[in-house]
Amino acid sequence: MEGPNDWMDAPHSTGTSIMAAEFDNGVIIGADSRSTTGAYIANRVADKLTRITDRIYCCRSGSAADTQAIADIVSYHLEFHGMELGGDPLVEIGANVFKELCYNYRDSLMAGILVAGWDKKKGGQIYSIPIGGMCVRQPVSIGGSGSSYVYGYVDANFKPNMTQEECVKFVTNTLALAMSRDGSSGGVVRLGIITEKGIERRVVLGNELPKFYEN
Amino acid sequence: MSSIGTGYDLSASQFSPDGRVFQVEYAMKAVENSGTVLGLKGSDGIILAAEKLILSKLHEPGTNQRIFNIDKHIGMAFSGLIADARQVVQIARREAADYRQQYGVSIPLKYLNDRVSMYMHAYTLYSAIRPYGCSVILASYEDGEPTMYTIDPSGVSYGYHGCATGKAKQAAKTEIEKLKVSQLPCRELAKEAAKIIYLVHDELKDKNFELELSWVCKESNGLHQKVPDNVYQEAERAAKQAMEADSESDTDDL
Amino acid sequence: MSVLCPEIPAPGFSFDNCRRNVMLENKGLVLPKATKTGTTIVGIIYKDGVILGADTRATEDTTVADKNCEKIHYIAPNMYCCGAGTAADTEMTTQMISSQLELHRLYTGRVVRVATANQLLKQYLFRYQGYVGAALVLGGVDTTGSHLYCIFPHGSSDQLHYTTMGSGSLAAMAVFESRWKPDMEEAEGVQLVRDAIAAGIFNDLGSGSNVDICIIRKGGNVDYKRTYDEANKKGQKQNSYKYQKGTTAVLTTKVVDVEEVTVRRIETEEMDTA
Repeated sequence: MEGPNDWMDAPHSTGTSIMAAEFDNGVIIGADSRSTTGAYIANRVADKLTRITDRIYCCRSGSAADTQAIADIVSYHLEFHGMELGGDPLVEIGANVFKELCYNYRDSLMAGILVAGWDKKKGGQIYSIPIGGMCVRQPVSIGGSGSSYVYGYVDANFKPNMTQEECVKFVTNTLALAMSRDGSSGGVVRLGIITEKGIERRVVLGNELPKFYEN
Repeated sequence: MSSIGTGYDLSASQFSPDGRVFQVEYAMKAVENSGTVLGLKGSDGIILAAEKLILSKLHEPGTNQRIFNIDKHIGMAFSGLIADARQVVQIARREAADYRQQYGVSIPLKYLNDRVSMYMHAYTLYSAIRPYGCSVILASYEDGEPTMYTIDPSGVSYGYHGCATGKAKQAAKTEIEKLKVSQLPCRELAKEAAKIIYLVHDELKDKNFELELSWVCKESNGLHQKVPDNVYQEAERAAKQAMEADSESDTDDL
Repeated sequence: MSVLCPEIPAPGFSFDNCRRNVMLENKGLVLPKATKTGTTIVGIIYKDGVILGADTRATEDTTVADKNCEKIHYIAPNMYCCGAGTAADTEMTTQMISSQLELHRLYTGRVVRVATANQLLKQYLFRYQGYVGAALVLGGVDTTGSHLYCIFPHGSSDQLHYTTMGSGSLAAMAVFESRWKPDMEEAEGVQLVRDAIAAGIFNDLGSGSNVDICIIRKGGNVDYKRTYDEANKKGQKQNSYKYQKGTTAVLTTKVVDVEEVTVRRIETEEMDTA
């Protein structure tokens, strides 16, 4: 029997649009704010940009429970590692710890993660870890169900070494386009600008999003 | 030795009334019985040099090495008991490999040094085991930054610009102090290291020895390896010349 | 498997039976249903703390199993938690975490934080991969302020200013979305929570009976209002429908004398305790 409350039993997942892009002195990360259980929006102001260390963040897509649990574990691990090493861990190391978990538990996890951050060795970096536990560095990366709609836009508009504001505009536009076409993405655009100085968080409200062709 | 017969030197897990652990001090004596080893940190990398004493005429040159690779960017030289040192080498290699497996990047020397010294220190705490009878020098060149540490049998470790352990460590240290090591490039340091090893070698007590030289530097692309043949020969020649010049000046004085 | 080397059973939990049950269910077997609190639970943050609310109906399939159950559970003196989902799971989960937090409080000598309770709950639920069916609204105050968390059975959680859960959550959320605003006064907040629960009680079949409300004020003052409101009051009878004395006519009367009754006392006997 399909009960009236099927959506209650459905795993709480972030049908999502997430994104990260390198610019001249750091990375910009961005995400929509919709999290759904089945067809119900469980949280319309969710924050999918999760802190791992001061200069490493991750964008989460897939099962909310799985990605939150992984992010908590990696955060714990890197904090410990940072203490042992006496310095901030490299983004590369963070990505590798994520990968190790995502790969080893690939049969029981639903997680697509972008790890982004800044370190002294390689500056701004983005690592994409899709379902299955691959790990690859990319100058720009998109993820979640909304990403399929905007690959073309990203390929056409991404340029290496953009200025900060150019890149913020690019990420906001891409996410606005993804959110307008993907039913399980929406709400506001959350942004994070990670540079040597740390992170600067921004929000673009739903009514302030850039407008494109609508009909 | 004042400790003998007091009974406080039978176990590593017991202090003497004046606060010493004799077993650890005995382990240091074991280190002082072996050939001299030194490390020099220059402007563009590190040179490790070892005086390998040859105890038998049947010994084949190039075997029984005293300088090892731990990871591709880390070298370890030791003085003391070879069997003990090999065990330390093995755990250092495992630490390096585990780190690479877990984090996907090569192990920072600071981290490896912490782990290995913690391991060696653990062997000074229990009555059922004895401390390691060896000192090791760890050297690496990471992101244009040369780093070097030595670890004692007690588990204590320090970072150095230049260091020496083994039979003639005092003489070697005096020689190193005369150099401005941190300003010299590795090619120069190779010669200096060879000279020091030749100089501190005691021809009367130990007849023969073989010089071992390795580096981890800019020229080797951050890899730890035996110095190239031409560098080795140049260093050996420089050392022998220095010895001859030295003995000539000695005769002049007479 | 050999006699010399007995097989060691695999460590950890086995969920094999869950798969078997799904297979049996697909073949038409009707599985016994656990009591679920088809529920409306809500929470808001207001100016001086947190207000939690819940209905009081517990159901077994379509039967009302309990008309006045308690869904707002005690976690710590400064923290309460509403539970929806499997009644047994919400009860035991909150009890166990409450116990862990009390030990933590005694060990540290500090007021436990809401974030700590959230972390313990989500890690516990994540471990059981959704098989512990507890959907929770956790609210409380600590040294860092007022906090409200919404925790899902699979182990994810959101920190929010107002939230609803359970089968009546849609109705309740509609009330919040139209009327919640930051820094509300207490009276206004309590009214809003009452209305949200009432929306669940009236519009969701799984929710019903009364409104429970729990106010947790900054500083740790708690006001647990059990049966704050009876949403479904029984109507008052407009008239008395009792028959008047003498409505039925007396046709005959007969008086019978009862014989005299004697009472015989029986002496109590001592019990032999030797």
